[in-house]
Amino acid sequence: MIKTIVVALIAILLGAPAFALDGDRLLEQVDRGLNPESYEMYRKLINVEPSGAKKEFTLFSVKKGKDKIAALFLAPASEKGRSTLRLGDNMWLYIPNVGKPIRITSLQSIVGGVFNNADILNLDYSTEYNVEKLEEAGGEILLYLKAKTKEVAYDRLKMWVDKKQTQPVKVECLTEAGMLIKTLYFKDRKDFGGGIARPSVIETDSPLFKGYKSVMIYAKVKKRDFKDEVFTLTFMPNLESLR
Amino acid sequence: MKKCRLAIGLLFCLFLPAMGAAGESYTFDPAEIEKKPYHLGGYLEFKPLLFGLDREAAFYKLRFYNAPQGQTLPEWNGRVQLEGSYERGFYRVYARTNTDLKDTYAGTSERTVFHEAYVSVKPSSSLKVETGKKVMRWGKGYAWSPAAFVDRPKDPDDPELALEGYIVATADYIKSFDGPLKTFSFTPVLLPVYENVNDGFGTRNQMNVAGRFYFLLYDTDIDLLFLTGGSRTDRYGVDFSRNISTNLEIHGEFAYIRNHQKNVLDAAGKSRLVEGDARSYLAGIRYLTTFDLTTIVEYYHNDTGFGGDDMKNYYAFIDRGYELYNATGNASTLVNAQTMAEGAYGRSNSMRDYLYVRLSQKEPFDILYLTPALTWMMNLEDKSFSLTPELLYTGITNLELRFRTTFIIGAKNTEFGEKQNDYRIEFRIGYYF
Repeated sequence: MIKTIVVALIAILLGAPAFALDGDRLLEQVDRGLNPESYEMYRKLINVEPSGAKKEFTLFSVKKGKDKIAALFLAPASEKGRSTLRLGDNMWLYIPNVGKPIRITSLQSIVGGVFNNADILNLDYSTEYNVEKLEEAGGEILLYLKAKTKEVAYDRLKMWVDKKQTQPVKVECLTEAGMLIKTLYFKDRKDFGGGIARPSVIETDSPLFKGYKSVMIYAKVKKRDFKDEVFTLTFMPNLESLR
Repeated sequence: MKKCRLAIGLLFCLFLPAMGAAGESYTFDPAEIEKKPYHLGGYLEFKPLLFGLDREAAFYKLRFYNAPQGQTLPEWNGRVQLEGSYERGFYRVYARTNTDLKDTYAGTSERTVFHEAYVSVKPSSSLKVETGKKVMRWGKGYAWSPAAFVDRPKDPDDPELALEGYIVATADYIKSFDGPLKTFSFTPVLLPVYENVNDGFGTRNQMNVAGRFYFLLYDTDIDLLFLTGGSRTDRYGVDFSRNISTNLEIHGEFAYIRNHQKNVLDAAGKSRLVEGDARSYLAGIRYLTTFDLTTIVEYYHNDTGFGGDDMKNYYAFIDRGYELYNATGNASTLVNAQTMAEGAYGRSNSMRDYLYVRLSQKEPFDILYLTPALTWMMNLEDKSFSLTPELLYTGITNLELRFRTTFIIGAKNTEFGEKQNDYRIEFRIGYYF
């Protein structure tokens, strides 16, 4: 009986406080709540101008492990066949008919608008960030994230996490000096099947693009394993064959 | 009562868009992402040009000696590209045609070719075999690629233009690893040169073999390349590209060409064959500032190019031919010079040392999809250059509008000073479907 109580106490002391205070572990749970580690998905990106004019892009994306992700543009016709690849901090853009894959940087944007390449080819948050501190407020936890390296697009993030669903509600992207670059709003939680339930819409705005808004809509998020060779420059022209 | 209903209806209609905006919902129709086994698409382009002619320049005299022009010369260009593919299992057939239409002072012309047309077999994600007409796209340079041994040369004035391929048999073998070497791939290429098969590539009746070994090693792209087989002299190359930080990329290429041959004119206008090993190389950076200004800088040394004295001899040869024609009507010298211009003397950058700088500012003043750019290309030996400001707008889906002007500046006997034009104004409308 005493043994059982001791074991239970140890479990309470080590387990529950660890969940409450270990921000890095919580961040990993946020990541897994958003996506499986390896998956495929479709996304629609919509750039909305202050006039209401819109421009839409459709992408097919595949991800493997912590640092491999590739995306293929399906629409519009002017972008169809373009593909992007990210391996850790390395990013490339392949434009069919034009040339070989060229290196691009995380701060550039291949689609224009508020989303940049790091937003489109986003890795797990826990791959790029450490949790510096967390605050609990009502039904949400506020995580203060600091980039692990200088190569990460945003030096700091403030992430509001829904305590019950362990999923982000809002993320502010900041420079090292604390200047706000953009805010991401996670909306419309949807069950995609296979145990994947996540926000299906991410909206973003930026004080650097006043009046503009960009939206990313998710569809057919599905767990899937890929060979490492899929995430190579040589394979970039062939991403369509994975659909 | 009817008026009241009408008023309510009008009010509803007025506020409906606002209500929609307030609670905007986004849709993603599954039909948009449904995969079809076939794909059909294309590109239409309309490009009017206005050349400001330099009537004292050697290349003006060479082209217009028997058809003198005024200060300016308009030209109308059109392009139609059609592409289609069909995929079944691990087989895929792809074709892209290109039709160039031109209306100039000399009349209209049309040329249609397959840029690419090939069959792919991809039994696994590690292996792909292809045969047909294909663009290989080797090298890492933006404006030039001296190590792209099996590609047609890029136009440094428009390096992103789609190129025509060669008829090849090729394969890709890819292997990924954990550790410093993340990826290795090997791309062998067989390139036959026979009558009506790649016959512009070089000496006929030869089966050429080329290859590329690619390594992603310590976050650096490295290619080792070679070409051998007789149509062109043997050549070996290496290129690399690496991101130094989130906003800085460096790249380079080196090509070693054995026994390169070229015909060079001496001061008397006599041609002699010069043969020797050539080393061409390129070093470049791509840098992005916090305010979205992308800078591309490339230095290019081309050992296969001509020296300043070689080009002066050629310009003098044209001048003598022009004087002879004006005095006697004998165009034989100019016809010889034209033949040389169709070869190495007439290439876009026919000399040895160049600097390329391109500044492009994405979406200035928060104007989405607008990209102004400025391109400066300088011949470092004779200090002549071209300067090209341009505006690119891509805000309308599938439509691309580009306006650019090129100023071509240089003294007598310099590369850009002897070009046909003083300036060129160009408007391009491109539509993708």
